[in-house]
Amino acid sequence: MTLAIVLVIAAALALIFILGITVSRSLQVSETAGLAAKIQPIDVAAFRNLVDPAEDDYLRRRLPASEFRLVRRQRLRAMAAYVQTAGRNAAVLVRMGQSSLTAGDADTAQAARQLVDNALLLRRNAAFALLRIYVALAWPNSGLAATPILQGYERLNGSAMLLGRLQNPAAPVRISAML
Amino acid sequence: MLQAHSFLWHYLWLAPNVLLLALAFLIYRNGLRKIFPAFFAFAILNSLGQFALYIADVAPSITAESFWRVDWASLLIEGPLKFAVVAEIFARVFGSYDSLARLGRLLIRGVGIALALTAALAAAYAPKDSLFGIVSGAHLLEQTIYLIASGLLLFIFVFSAYFGLRPARPVFGIALGLAISSCIHLAIWAVAANAGLPPERRVILDFAGMASTHLSVLIWFYYLLVPQKVPTKSSVPLPENNLDVWNRELERLVHQ
Repeated sequence: MTLAIVLVIAAALALIFILGITVSRSLQVSETAGLAAKIQPIDVAAFRNLVDPAEDDYLRRRLPASEFRLVRRQRLRAMAAYVQTAGRNAAVLVRMGQSSLTAGDADTAQAARQLVDNALLLRRNAAFALLRIYVALAWPNSGLAATPILQGYERLNGSAMLLGRLQNPAAPVRISAML
Repeated sequence: MLQAHSFLWHYLWLAPNVLLLALAFLIYRNGLRKIFPAFFAFAILNSLGQFALYIADVAPSITAESFWRVDWASLLIEGPLKFAVVAEIFARVFGSYDSLARLGRLLIRGVGIALALTAALAAAYAPKDSLFGIVSGAHLLEQTIYLIASGLLLFIFVFSAYFGLRPARPVFGIALGLAISSCIHLAIWAVAANAGLPPERRVILDFAGMASTHLSVLIWFYYLLVPQKVPTKSSVPLPENNLDVWNRELERLVHQ
């Protein structure tokens, strides 16, 4: 009987999750026009400083071990906030790109496809990077590679620029400015 | 009303399968058969299997043991077909995106293995009925199929939602119908296989299962045959911002 209860609860939870995702999907359809406003700007200079290994090496040399761990954890938390924002922006760009996938113009559709692929890559890298950041939070002395995130940004920027240029030649570069 | 061989019972057993067969015909006519071959095969074979089972149930000349043999045969065909449909959904949602396809395949294999182990454990701990092994075995097989199928479908839903992917309308409809049916059937067969209900109460489970199948078939009809509303704007407006600053900083960031 216990097994039956466990399986019934698991099935009910799975059904609730699936229906929740379905409802949120149908709500998203109506708010496609306001997607761009959901992209949050990121201070690139600050992010660049946070992921710089030379900065970490400098702090490690200059600070006592206990203080370094404290500072490193604060930097990692800030880094996680940036990566989370980048991941959320990537998810918004996936939706923006998907809305242009069926465009009649082949160039726009191709650019949209490229944008979606690169945004998915960034979202994936953001998930991996977050995992590594949380591991590093537990062991602040370990190394941390954020390179995939940076590479993802570079590719995403190019795709967003191309799609923006094709969709709106008068203002070709606005979409990627907010990443 | 909620009794075996009542009008509602006959309706709920036959109507969804007649509709499913009609859906298969419409899929064939609309040319969707080439896009969803597994679902097309599932629609035909699942409904034919259920018709065979219905005949085995109502025909007085067929013994109870023969009925359960037909049930086993039907399950052995339907089970792999359901997994083929899940694989088709997965391929349609993620297959065209290079950046996700490999990771997705890796993860779904892992999830599939974990679910198969969980289903094996659940079957191992289920109460055994030595007198009616063929019946309890069929219940356990149903529980196993639906446990794995609903887990895989949940993974597809969560994974695509995490990445903000919006599957095409027909793919989403097939996935939604199959997921609702799988989750409800998992609960039903878990109770049937483990709770030791008397036969008169099991009829209620039959009604719930048949009603959920009916709901799924209606969902498939809606998503596969009713055309999507065309959005008034094909593309979203682009946000205003300063790209020069972003690009300059990004280049410095990448080329450091």
